[in-house]
Amino acid sequence: MANIAISRIKREFKEVIKSEEIVQCSIKVELINDNWTELRGEIAGPPDTPYEGGKFILEIKVPETYPFNPPKVRFITRIWHPNISSVTGAICLDILKDNWAAAMTLRTVLLSLQALLAAAEPDDPQDAVVATQYKENHPMFMLTARHWTNSYAGGPNKVADFDTKIQRLKDMGIDENQARACLSKENWDLEKATESLFS
Amino acid sequence: MSGDGESDMEYSDNDYDDYYNSGDSDVDQIDPKKTDPEYFDYKCLLVEEVEKLLNELVEKLNTRIEITPSLAKVLLHEHGWDVEKIVSKYRENSNGLLITARVKPPTNDQPTPSTSSSIACSSSSWSTTNLPTTSSLSLHRLCPVCATSHLPDKFEKLACNHSFCKDCWAMHFETQIFQGITTQIGCMATKCNVRVPEDLVLNLVTRSIMREKYQQFAFRDYVKSHPELRFCPGPNCNIIVRSTSCEVLPKRTICEMCQTQFCFKCGMDYHAPTNCQIIRKWLTKCADDSETANYISANTKDCPNCHICIEKNGGCNHMHCFHCKHDFCWMCLGDWKNHGSEYYECSRYKENPNIANESIHAQAREALKKYLHYYERWENHSKSLQLEQQTLDRIKTRVNEKVMKAQGTWIDWQYLFNAAALLAKCRYTLQYTYPYAYYMEPGSRKDLFEYQQANLEAEIENLSWKVERAETTDLGDLENQMDVAEKRRTTLLKDFFPSTVSNTFT
Repeated sequence: MANIAISRIKREFKEVIKSEEIVQCSIKVELINDNWTELRGEIAGPPDTPYEGGKFILEIKVPETYPFNPPKVRFITRIWHPNISSVTGAICLDILKDNWAAAMTLRTVLLSLQALLAAAEPDDPQDAVVATQYKENHPMFMLTARHWTNSYAGGPNKVADFDTKIQRLKDMGIDENQARACLSKENWDLEKATESLFS
Repeated sequence: MSGDGESDMEYSDNDYDDYYNSGDSDVDQIDPKKTDPEYFDYKCLLVEEVEKLLNELVEKLNTRIEITPSLAKVLLHEHGWDVEKIVSKYRENSNGLLITARVKPPTNDQPTPSTSSSIACSSSSWSTTNLPTTSSLSLHRLCPVCATSHLPDKFEKLACNHSFCKDCWAMHFETQIFQGITTQIGCMATKCNVRVPEDLVLNLVTRSIMREKYQQFAFRDYVKSHPELRFCPGPNCNIIVRSTSCEVLPKRTICEMCQTQFCFKCGMDYHAPTNCQIIRKWLTKCADDSETANYISANTKDCPNCHICIEKNGGCNHMHCFHCKHDFCWMCLGDWKNHGSEYYECSRYKENPNIANESIHAQAREALKKYLHYYERWENHSKSLQLEQQTLDRIKTRVNEKVMKAQGTWIDWQYLFNAAALLAKCRYTLQYTYPYAYYMEPGSRKDLFEYQQANLEAEIENLSWKVERAETTDLGDLENQMDVAEKRRTTLLKDFFPSTVSNTFT
């Protein structure tokens, strides 16, 4: 790995560790291996959003041409958000693509992702299903996102009705994650979800 | 415009008789700009010639307003190489011009240390060390990109004052060039959209292969941003065509080097009288629907008289059944006798007048029927054009035979090749009249168009028939037919093909 990339990452690592956000526990970076090419990030769900109280783990891969090219970032924690794939965790964010600037850092990336959780851009979606729900049935979207935060990111807010429905499908022998994804897609209509799972 | 067309058509009809008196010389004297609707003034240029042309513009701007040549290039690229426009904008508001061209940062947002907003290079731990006011301990400054300290002379900045070390700039440029980005390379600072001018890139990038790549890609960008220049779309052709008529028109352009024929405006196959948007729409539609259409319009038809199966093996629509000797039209299967003398009707699509009252299902059926009507004719002419090559081969062998039998010399037969070339040209135009007609609103203009289209179709079929069966003695007759067909073609183009942007008919 090129020298610049390593010295940059080392320095940035210190930067995040020292930053005020770490004191507030809102962002975190950990090393995965010794050669600084892969890191694990963590962001806290912003307050007053359905992600509040959740901890979201991110996979950060540092390319050899870093910082002239952006790091490759993806959500490992499953999340219900228009700009993040509910299946793969891939992120649609301009600074991770064309609008990357070499002067940006891991800290700016993590803060931007946090900002993305607080303000989604449904017109530039990564996950079309989520984006449609966000625009057409916003209360349903909020509940679903909260439920996902509770199920995957350790968020405190349970949605009892959703849990019951998932249990119903689990009783039929469906995998829990599959049941959740399908119900979320069908706006928690149990009948429709059952139909699409068994057809 | 249509009035002109009428009189022109009469002219061509009357001209039929005194064809030999008027002769070709007369036609040559007329200014082609006015008489030929397809006339287009252009030049084929080599890369070096275009480079020279662009450099002249840079110099011209350079002498008018005082900026460096590489900034002049940025401005020219941004403003379609219009020197006058830039000069007048510059005199009006030089600052505004430089900001919109992203040469300068927006003034209210100057990244002075105190206002460097949001997250721009503002990492708490090292922002204090990377500011221009260096730390008191040494003269070294920290580059925020490589996170290494350097002496101040190792730094370089743009108009936005964002300062980074030269090695990082060079790395940044190479990474961008590698991705094919040249004229759009931007500053490395967060949220800064200032563009890097050519001179800085070429100063700092040392690897010759990257320098060459930069110049090559930047040149492509420059040519593409110049409204009068077009790269020839031919494979591996380096010719650049320059329109010398000051307008971007959908005219026929033929590359002198590789002979590729294309529309100057959109770069696709030439498509008069249809315009660029419509032909794109039509081609997409055909790509979507062609399977059905192909299935329906199979390659064979039955003779309407004796019902024997006939395969079309030449360009001509005038079919002559080998079995029963019946003459008929391939398109409408009607008796050919009606086609020759009177109004040629089978190119016109007859819309069902009660369509509004029909059900949606019937409307869909009618829409498909309408599309298939035009598609079938479009496809038919396209196939005929391909078959025209076979016809040409056949003409060659026939001429060879005739010459061997001492029926005229090779020179006597040359007119047949001219006729075949003209036939192909007319058929090409005719092919492209069908998408035009398909998208036309019903009305008197469409009636006129289809009338002229039918006329052209009739003359082309006559010509095709005659070309396939010509003898040396038919020279006069064939030349007459050629003249009539070409006049029909130009008349149609004159009336419906925009010769200037202003009267584009859509």
